[in-house]
Amino acid sequence: MATTSRREALKLLAAAGGVAAMPMSARARQADPVFADYQAASQIDPWTLIVRDAPADGFDSQAALVSGAAPEGLTGTLFRNGPGRFSRQGWRYRHWFDGDGFLQAWDLRPDGLRHRGRFIETDKWQAEQAADRFIVPALASVPPQPGGLSGPDDMNVANTSVLLLGDELLALWEGGSAWSVDPDSLESQGARRWGNGLDGVPFSAHPKREPDSGIVWNFGQDAIRDRMIIWKIGPDGTLLQAGVVGDVPGGMVHDFVITEHSLVFLVGNYRFQQMRLPFLDSFAFDAEAPMIAIAIDKSDWTRRRTWELPPGFLFHFGGAWEEADGTIRLDAALSQDARFAMAGAYDIMRGQAETQTDSQARHMQVTLAPGGRSRIESLGDGYIEFPQVDPRRTGLRRRETWHIAWDSDQPRGATRIERRNLHTGGHDVFDHGEAVFVEEPLFIPASPVAPEGEGWIVHTALNSRVEQTELHAFNAQHLSDGPVASWRLPYACPFGFHGCWRSG
Amino acid sequence: MMKLMTSTFLAIALTAATANLAGADDGTATLTIEISSVAPSGGFVMVGVYDSETGWNDGTAVAGTRAAVDGDQITVVFEDLPAGTYGVKMYHDVDADGEMDTNLMGIPSEPFAFSNNARGRFGPPEWTAAAFELAADGSVHSVSFE
Repeated sequence: MATTSRREALKLLAAAGGVAAMPMSARARQADPVFADYQAASQIDPWTLIVRDAPADGFDSQAALVSGAAPEGLTGTLFRNGPGRFSRQGWRYRHWFDGDGFLQAWDLRPDGLRHRGRFIETDKWQAEQAADRFIVPALASVPPQPGGLSGPDDMNVANTSVLLLGDELLALWEGGSAWSVDPDSLESQGARRWGNGLDGVPFSAHPKREPDSGIVWNFGQDAIRDRMIIWKIGPDGTLLQAGVVGDVPGGMVHDFVITEHSLVFLVGNYRFQQMRLPFLDSFAFDAEAPMIAIAIDKSDWTRRRTWELPPGFLFHFGGAWEEADGTIRLDAALSQDARFAMAGAYDIMRGQAETQTDSQARHMQVTLAPGGRSRIESLGDGYIEFPQVDPRRTGLRRRETWHIAWDSDQPRGATRIERRNLHTGGHDVFDHGEAVFVEEPLFIPASPVAPEGEGWIVHTALNSRVEQTELHAFNAQHLSDGPVASWRLPYACPFGFHGCWRSG
Repeated sequence: MMKLMTSTFLAIALTAATANLAGADDGTATLTIEISSVAPSGGFVMVGVYDSETGWNDGTAVAGTRAAVDGDQITVVFEDLPAGTYGVKMYHDVDADGEMDTNLMGIPSEPFAFSNNARGRFGPPEWTAAAFELAADGSVHSVSFE
């Protein structure tokens, strides 16, 4: 490290030694306003538990059945991933999406429900855990005395979702590699390597599985250069095809949908402008441009159709299908701007909810017709997020979407679970009441051959009254009857983002 | 994201092959670079030496070399450089194909390092972070691939 003439070496080393060993001064530790704001808010508002640091050694305990009875036939594991470490040495991340990935596994067996939580031991996690401080510039935060980056995987927090692929569980982020995890022990096994020049290439957090073939499609975005990589993977995890598709505007693309013939992207107006640190500052909302829809032909990635839509932004789709004339119908949680990513997700880190209502997503149906014609229609009032479908209808015409929902007078977020019929507009609602904040609902088919939509909805939630995390199971066709079973942990967990289910 | 870094390293490869290794002036100094944490064994470490911010940014090296990797440490010596300010870029050509390999997105997939062990963020480090002084009586500079 030292660059010296030989005779200068000892002198300089002596001078430098005194400061090099101190990672952060006591003054810096006390001065972080975000950390201080969160500390203050957490004293009075139990909702702030959704972004409390999980214990470094995780969780492992049994949940207590607090109402109902475990549904017969519903056995398996709910895996959920989300940010779980937000502060070190009195310094706190600025943005919700920065936190280190924390994997939770809910093992539902006839004899009970076991809950485990474990950090995904990314390279970043291991280095920072050893140093007991944040080192790496994160998506939207640069910690004090930051280190450098050799590539995106140096800042990979693997904190967004999970995918079961063959025998592996992959913890997903969207800027770099998937992180391989043993689904039984929850031990991290390192970045998923694909070879073929694909190591370290972005593998986004919302892969889609074709129900019949089991083929998994995914994408990765290179917003800086207006490109995307497309991934096509066999059911056993074998790479079938990967390649770069150019001329995809550098919007922040988080999710996509598939149909029988197409991969469909909506590029919202939260666009890459110029490289800045932290990286999220490279993006800004460009209200002048149209939102772009792009449908790429699954069988020839050089063939595409595009549509121009009114400005907007989204994180998540429900699903999509394609009519015989090529018309694509999709539903999504669509907002008019990106203020949640640009403001609300910062406020949450301070323990503040007030500005979250400024910009929220609504359930919209988007029709992309031949000849560049398009239509956007509302599917319901109120705010929604985390739309989910019966996975056996992914990419196919289907009836329903399940999602979380809330209203403008609920700045702390969703308390309701809803089912929406896309064709009749009919809906089915359960409201947990003002103290229970719900997370993504997952649809689990009653059996592989059960009719469309027959199964369970399973979701986790923070019960802020008792300051404990709960798991609720519903009959997916009768949400308004309330949960058929509810369990409660002896502690509260940080909120996750997305999950998946392993039957058996 | 890594285009700048990739093109910089390609420039090293080209320049290193043609760089003039020997300056002739009197009063020149010897730069010794001790390179550690070289892994895996095999291939070559490609080293480029730059004497200005302009050269650093556009990839114009004033000296360069290719050193065979046999073990986890290598020392390379540049003689007859004028005393002054320098920066060094290097990468480990693990598969000895003469190129800085990148993944499909253009992100380097072979190890690289810079003088001062400076690290960039979404690209090579700035000249000011990598620059060091070569003293008139010579300097030893250590760089780690770790």
